[in-house]
Amino acid sequence: MSSRAVSMGTAGYRDGSTGEPATAEDVVSAIAPDGSARRWSPSRAACLTLAIGLLVTAALALTSLGLYNRNEDRLLGLRARQLGLVLTAAVTSTQTPLASAAELADATGGSPQKFHAFIDSYVGPGRQFASVSLWPLGTSHLAPVVVAGSTPALAALPAQAHALFARGEHTRLLNVTGILGTANPGLGYEFTTPGIRHGFAVYAESPLPKDRRSKLSSDSAFSDLNYALYLGHTRRAGELLVTNIRRFPIGGRQASDVVPFGDTAFTLVVTPNGSLGGTFFESLPWIICGGGVLLTLAAALLTDRLARRRRYAEQLVDVLDRVAAENRDMYTEQRSIAQTLQHALLPDELPELSGMEVGARYVPAASGIDVGGDWYDIVDAGDQQVLVMIGDVSGHGLRAATAMASLRHAALAYAAQDHGPASVLARLSDFVNGDPHEHFATMLCALIDVRAHRLTVASAGHMAPLLIDDAGSDGQFVEITANVPIGVVRNSPYEEVTVSVQPHTTLIAFTDGLVERRGEIIDTGLARLQATATGQRLPLEDLLSMLAHGLASEGHHDDTAIVGIRWQS
Amino acid sequence: MAELDAEPPTTVEIDTQVDPSGAQIVTLRGELDSSNATSLVAAVASITAQRPQRLIFDLTGLSFMDSAGIAVLINTTRKTSVSLRNPSPIIRRVLGATGLADVLPIES
Repeated sequence: MSSRAVSMGTAGYRDGSTGEPATAEDVVSAIAPDGSARRWSPSRAACLTLAIGLLVTAALALTSLGLYNRNEDRLLGLRARQLGLVLTAAVTSTQTPLASAAELADATGGSPQKFHAFIDSYVGPGRQFASVSLWPLGTSHLAPVVVAGSTPALAALPAQAHALFARGEHTRLLNVTGILGTANPGLGYEFTTPGIRHGFAVYAESPLPKDRRSKLSSDSAFSDLNYALYLGHTRRAGELLVTNIRRFPIGGRQASDVVPFGDTAFTLVVTPNGSLGGTFFESLPWIICGGGVLLTLAAALLTDRLARRRRYAEQLVDVLDRVAAENRDMYTEQRSIAQTLQHALLPDELPELSGMEVGARYVPAASGIDVGGDWYDIVDAGDQQVLVMIGDVSGHGLRAATAMASLRHAALAYAAQDHGPASVLARLSDFVNGDPHEHFATMLCALIDVRAHRLTVASAGHMAPLLIDDAGSDGQFVEITANVPIGVVRNSPYEEVTVSVQPHTTLIAFTDGLVERRGEIIDTGLARLQATATGQRLPLEDLLSMLAHGLASEGHHDDTAIVGIRWQS
Repeated sequence: MAELDAEPPTTVEIDTQVDPSGAQIVTLRGELDSSNATSLVAAVASITAQRPQRLIFDLTGLSFMDSAGIAVLINTTRKTSVSLRNPSPIIRRVLGATGLADVLPIES
């Protein structure tokens, strides 16, 4: 029971009156970003980052792929022309010995010995020609007279032979037969020295691979290419001389070149055997794709995280605003509670006194929620006597207020026993000394004889009251010794002084909040009070209101009590 | 005297040392009021627990002291002999006005 009572008496008003104060921690934990209960959904910024990143990646990859393709096409074209140059050289090396042999035959009248001596080194397996033969022109029966190597296939084809040699007499070129034979295909060509009537034609045949297939040796300068070589200017399948390409028609990247060959030409088609520019450039688009996607994902994740942090921070700001608003409300409420409590500890109403006008003000500090320790009492002591007490317990809060309340009631009790001001203070000092709450109090006690216009005052470390004359033009502080405050030393003596006052005198007693300012000696504050209170003769209530209002307007730091008493005669 | 705590916080610096004569010196700088007097209560409690002969509050650097601060000084007098060193005229005047000149003597 007792602990319940304590709880209600002290902290209860705080908890009970404010409902359930939400602390920042409570609400923040509810919106914490790692809360597993929250369903994850990517932020809009992250989606945007992802989309832009993927688009950029795709554009870069496509650009890189386009550059790669263009480069490969260009390289392949260059390689085709290079291979064409090599072929051109080969054609020349084919024509030259035949032209020389024809000239030799014409000069020697077709001497077989001379012919053999010249041409034999070019003929045979693994050499340039399979067969070279010498054909006299201008005879009715067209046949070779000298043959080096194998028998020419043309010997069995008189119609073709006629056509070929008839054509040869009119050109300065190598005349090509086309592909001869099917079982052992070969290519035949002849050269006739132009301008010699009934001279000799030199005819040669070179074998073609049976299936037209031939590999380039792997150490060839052109091992990076696949090729197909056609006779003539077109790519007719029947004119295919040799190739290492397996699939026809030729697909994919390709380049071609045409090399003149006698009265016809070779058409060369090449395709790349792998990447000509190197594998790095080939895989660059994929590298860009992979790297770009990874970077984009990382950026999107980072963006998402930042976006969620920002959202969290915004929520946090909302929460803090809410908590701040609640704290403000709570503060206002508690301040109002403190002020209510303060007023409950002060007299409800002041006594009606004949011959005296009385008034009082209590001005709470401009801010703060604690109960102050200032108090006052005006007591009708009977027989035209009035007891005025005003005091100030050091510190603030409930303990100071409790100390103040007990001090105030003890003072009233001592005063009721007809003790004079000094005696009241001395007894209070003994009553309070050793207070474990470590407060002390300054206190002014004044006994006023209304009829005799007399005032007996004692001070326990309290500021002397101000006496203002009937015109309101002169104010003097009562000259008293400030004895030691209550609650400091036991058995301390207290002095009292008695002064006579003029009719219509006003007494202003106050606590130090009225005159004390930080960084200012109190004499300055006392002089300011003296000047403010004596400018003009005001009704007592107006005078008190003016003093209280002056305090409130300057945002003072301390609670202040002011008591005013005015002789009506 | 009830200083309220919603004001901007005031600060007081508290240094303690022993003077060659064996007296404990507690040096206070800044402003001592109800918002920070408890820190002085704690500092003084740890010193008086060692039962020093004498304790001197050096107030040279203290610009303001309210009743809560004075209460700490007064309570220290219950534990040991206390004197004040070099209080400012403002503080000196407050001590005089509150009748504490004898309780909290100022070093001559």
